[in-house]
Amino acid sequence: MTRERFEALAEAHGGAIARWPDDARPAAEAFAASEPQVARAILARAESLDAALDAWRPPTPNHALRERVIAAAPKAIRRAVRWTWVIGAGAGAGLCAATAAGLLLGVALSFQTSQSDEPVSSVMTAYEAPALGEPAESAT
Amino acid sequence: MSAGDPDEELLSRVAEGDPAAIRALAARKLPRLMSLAGRMLGEAAEAEDVAQEAMIRAWRQAPSWRPGAAKFDTWLHRVALNLCYDRLRRRREVATDKPPEVADEGPAPDRGLQARDVGLRVAEAMRALPERQREAVTLCHYQELGNIEAAKAMGISVEALESLLSRGRRALRAALSDMVEP
Repeated sequence: MTRERFEALAEAHGGAIARWPDDARPAAEAFAASEPQVARAILARAESLDAALDAWRPPTPNHALRERVIAAAPKAIRRAVRWTWVIGAGAGAGLCAATAAGLLLGVALSFQTSQSDEPVSSVMTAYEAPALGEPAESAT
Repeated sequence: MSAGDPDEELLSRVAEGDPAAIRALAARKLPRLMSLAGRMLGEAAEAEDVAQEAMIRAWRQAPSWRPGAAKFDTWLHRVALNLCYDRLRRRREVATDKPPEVADEGPAPDRGLQARDVGLRVAEAMRALPERQREAVTLCHYQELGNIEAAKAMGISVEALESLLSRGRRALRAALSDMVEP
């Protein structure tokens, strides 16, 4: 790793190599071992910004918020489960309908082919509609 | 892969309505959501609203959560970020002159006035950053997401994330030049 890349990583990710991207860490540690003074200076500069940033404390959740959120959970979960069932049942019904339609089509085809000497491929073309805007080919 | 997602086991218990799991997930995620929203919005009351809404979406998501490409924590960050963006957009539309109240819980007994002053300066400097830079610094420095997870939460490449982080931190260094190494 070059000094420039080490500096760029410290500039982006701060002064703790442990928090740098996984794929950059081994090379960064190798650089720090081979150039300890240079690395220390670069990391110290980044650490001084890290320390300042850490002085800004986040707001913390109060008791009332925590209880509101917990109280809302059972109803939200129940509704989500109901919706999962509704969607699942809808998908199941759709699948059943599609299966039934497929079965009917299969029965119809087998009946028709058993009544005629035409190959199945020519029967299938009867179900192929012409594309929109195209005139249907007249049978010659 | 979501292998190693630390929330997966808890989520499956939440999906069954286990009260202890619900409490545990709230205890684990609410502080993170407050931290994220507080830093993105700079106002504690709005941060509470965002944290509450994000947690309700988490409850709704639990029964249908399937281990996928993203970790649950990354998904939750994405949800909270979108809620923050909605509010920031509304603020721009209202175009108020009044700056939002800075989200700082005030000096704790173990933190002196000086630390609070530094905190207020940092809050000001963060608020002055462009939104995407503020988001990148918040996710990586404060929320401690890895670069891959943060990039996923932001919907950008890791290279773009690094660029946002560098620019953000450079701007922060300039704004806080009297307190950090130049």
